[in-house]
Amino acid sequence: MSRSICSRCLSRSQFTLETSASSPLPLNTAQRAAFSTTSALAANPPKKKGPVTAKPASRQGKTLRLNKNVRESTGKPPAQGERKAFRKKIVLSNTNALEVQGLQDLNLENSSAEKLAHLEGQVLALTDAQVSALRTLDVFKPTQAWNLFRKPATVIRKETVEIAKALESAQGGEDANAKQVIKRILFGEKGSGKTVLQLQAMALALNKGWVVLHFPNGQDLTNNQTSYHPDESGKLYVQPEYTANLLKTIASANQKVLSGMQLSMKHTLPFPVQENISLSRFAEMGANNAENAHAVYIALMKELTAPSKPTTGKGQQRPPLFLGFDAIDHVMRLSKYLNSEAGLVHAHDLALVNDFTRYMTGEHALPNGGMILAAVSESNRAASETLDYLLDTKYGAKTNWAEPRFNPHTGWKAEPMPAWSPYAPFDERVGKALEKMDVQKVEGLSKAEAKGLMEYYALSGVLRGAVTERLVGEKWSLSGGGIIGELEKAAVKTRI
Amino acid sequence: MESPLLRTGFRRAIASTHASSQRQALACQRRWLATPTESSGREPVRAAQPIQFTRDDNQFARNKPAGGFSRRGPPRGDGPKSDILLSRIRILPASPSYFTATPRYTDDLLALSALLRKYQLLPQCPPGEAPRIAWKTWEQYKSEVDEPVKETRYNRLLEIIKRLNYIHPALMPEEVTTALERFKRILQPFLNKPKPIIVDNYGRARASGRRKSSTASVYVVEGTGEAVVNGKSLTEYFGRLHDRESAVWALKQTERLDRYNVWATTSGGGTTGQAESIMLATAKALMAHEPDLRPILKRAGTLTRNPKRVERKKAGKLKARKMPAWVKR
Repeated sequence: MSRSICSRCLSRSQFTLETSASSPLPLNTAQRAAFSTTSALAANPPKKKGPVTAKPASRQGKTLRLNKNVRESTGKPPAQGERKAFRKKIVLSNTNALEVQGLQDLNLENSSAEKLAHLEGQVLALTDAQVSALRTLDVFKPTQAWNLFRKPATVIRKETVEIAKALESAQGGEDANAKQVIKRILFGEKGSGKTVLQLQAMALALNKGWVVLHFPNGQDLTNNQTSYHPDESGKLYVQPEYTANLLKTIASANQKVLSGMQLSMKHTLPFPVQENISLSRFAEMGANNAENAHAVYIALMKELTAPSKPTTGKGQQRPPLFLGFDAIDHVMRLSKYLNSEAGLVHAHDLALVNDFTRYMTGEHALPNGGMILAAVSESNRAASETLDYLLDTKYGAKTNWAEPRFNPHTGWKAEPMPAWSPYAPFDERVGKALEKMDVQKVEGLSKAEAKGLMEYYALSGVLRGAVTERLVGEKWSLSGGGIIGELEKAAVKTRI
Repeated sequence: MESPLLRTGFRRAIASTHASSQRQALACQRRWLATPTESSGREPVRAAQPIQFTRDDNQFARNKPAGGFSRRGPPRGDGPKSDILLSRIRILPASPSYFTATPRYTDDLLALSALLRKYQLLPQCPPGEAPRIAWKTWEQYKSEVDEPVKETRYNRLLEIIKRLNYIHPALMPEEVTTALERFKRILQPFLNKPKPIIVDNYGRARASGRRKSSTASVYVVEGTGEAVVNGKSLTEYFGRLHDRESAVWALKQTERLDRYNVWATTSGGGTTGQAESIMLATAKALMAHEPDLRPILKRAGTLTRNPKRVERKKAGKLKARKMPAWVKR
C-alpha cells in the first residue's frame, strides 16, 4: 500500500486532495469533495408526464390470455401434402447403423425351403433388386423399423419356411403338371408380422421368377379417395386412377419377367395394340392412360393366367402368379363409395376387388400355379363381423377347437365354438369369397428366433449390451410371447 | 396450646424410641410408602388389624379423659346401634394408594412392578419375536379405571407390560399371564392371520392383489414365461409397455421371468391399477413357490399393498383440489 503522506517531510500529501490517483474513475461532483459528508444534490430533473394514454379496452371472451400464450409463427407453413409425405416416408437404410458382418442375403440360393429351414432364427438381408421391387409394390410400411438398420433384413421364422414350402408346392417342384394354388389368409395379433411374412413370400416369389401383384392396403380401395365409375354392365365400379397406378407397380416390379413375355391372345381394347408387344410395355400403356387402365388390367390378367405354352413361340411361357392383398378386412364389407341410389357400394362390387375375389373363390383359375396371400390388418381393423366369424371358425376347426385345454382358473375345459350373432346380418358375399381360403394364425417368435433377431439388433449397434438368455427371455415375455412388433418396440424403439 | 418447638421436640423424642430400620423407613417415607419391597427389609403393607370395639365411646380418643366421660356428656342409649358404631370408628382404606390421585392406576403399577421384579431374571424372546398383542390404548384404560391418568404415566405402565410380554412363552408364569390379560384389547387384530398360500397338487399357487380400485387373482405355475391376462396375451391386454412390465415386475426383479407362467384375471379400475394389482398377486403367489425370495420381493416393493385411493371430490372444487377457472366478473 502506498502511503498518502510524503515520508520525507511528513507534511505534504503525495496526492492532491481532490484527485485520488488510485481511482481510475473520472472526476465527478460526488468525488470532488472527497471529505464532504453532504450528499450530492444534483439529481436529475423529474420527468414530465407524457400524454395520458387510454387503457386498452377490456378483453373479449372469458379465457385468461397472457402474452406468453401467443405462439409466434416461424417460417412458412408446410406445403400441401408435405406433412403426409413425411409421415408416410419410408426410409430403408441408416448409414449410422453398423454393418452386420456375415449377413446373408435372401437370394435365390437361400430361397429353397430346405435351406431356409437351416437358416431359421437367422436374419437375412434383402437384395437390392428385391428392395426396389418391394418398394414399388409398397410392401414396406412406415411403422416398421427399417430406418434403424444399414439395409433391410428380415428374420427367418417357422412361418417363413412354411411359406417357402408352399411356394415350392405351388410351383409343382420337379413335376410341372402338379402345379397348385395356395390360398391363405394371415391373421394374428397386431405387430405379429403378417405384412412382413407377405413381404418375405413376395421376395421369395420374385427370386423364383414369379409375377407378383400386390394390393398394399385394402383401405385405399374402399375409402372413397380415388375416382370411380360404373363399367359397361353397370354392375361393377371401375377405379381408373387406382388401376393405372396398380399397373405401373406391376410393370415396374416385374419388369424383368414381363418384358420377356408377349401377348398371346386377341383382346378387345379401346386402342390399337401391336401384336407381339411385351406384357411389360402393355402394362405401361395402361398405366399411362387411366381411361384404358381397366381394360388393360383385365387383358393383362387374362394373359398372365393363360396356360403356359413355352413350346409354341417366343414369350409364351407363363410363370406362377403371386397375388397379395394387405388389410383385406377393409374389402370384406360395404365400401365408402356411393351408387346411383346413394346407397353404399359393397366392396366386392368394385371391379378390382371383384376380380381378386374371383381368384380367391377359384372362379378365375391359375393354371400355372400360384399363391394368394392376403393379410388382415390389426392396427387399422375394419369392422367386418362376417370375416371375424369365419376366421374364428376356420381356425377353430383347424386347431381342434373342441379339445379341452388346461386353464388354472377353470381346469380342463374346451372353449365353446364361436357362435354367430343372431342380430347381425351374415354377409353372403364375404362368406363365398372366403370359402376356399385357408387361414393361418401368425403367432409370436420362438425364443430361438427372438434370440437371433436380438443378436442382429446388437450387431447393428441398435441394442446395447450382451444378448443373454435372460434378456431374450425377458423381452420375449414382455412382448406377449415373441410378438415381433412388440419385441422391436421393447428392444429397439423405446428410448429410456 | 403447645408451642411448635415443644411439638417438634416431642416428635423427635418419639422417633428416637423406634427401631433403627423403622426410622429409616420413616426418613424415606415420601418415596417408599407406596412401593414396599422385600429387599429393603420392611414389612409388606398389611390391612389394619380387626378392631375390637368396646362399649367405650372414647375407645380411640387420644386423650382419654380419666373418668371416661366425653365432653358431650354420657352416651344416649336410645339411638340406633350403627350410628353409634360409625361415630366411634375410623374407616381405613383397603389400598394404601387410596390417598394418591389415581389409586387404581397406582395399584396396577405397583402390582406389575412387583411382578416384573419377581420374574425379571426369566429368559426373554429375541428382539421382535415376542407374541404380538394389541394392548389397550390410553383412552381405553383411562375410561376403564375412571381416573385422570396421564398418557406418560400409562406409557410407563405399558413399558412394564411389554417387558413382561417379552418373557419367553415357554416359561411364562401363570401369574403374569393372568395379570396381563386385563390389559389386552378385546379385539386382537394380530390373531387374524392370512391364510397361507400353498402350491397345490397341480403346481399352482393362487394369490390375489389389489391396487386403486382393481383386483386381480393370479395363478403362478412353473413354465416358460408366458402370461395370460383375462384370456388375452400380455400385449393384447396391456397396450403400454410400462403396464406389461409392472404386471410381471415381481418375476422380473427376481429373475424368474422365464421359469413361471402367470394366469391372471383382473377386474375394476384402469390399466395401471390392474397391472399393479397383478404385480402384487404375482409376488405373493411366487413366494409360495420360493419363500426365500421374500427379501428381494420386499425390496422391489411388490409385497406392499399401495393404500392410495382416488381423493374424494370437494364442494366448490372441480375435482379434489382443482379450482374453477378464474373469470373476470
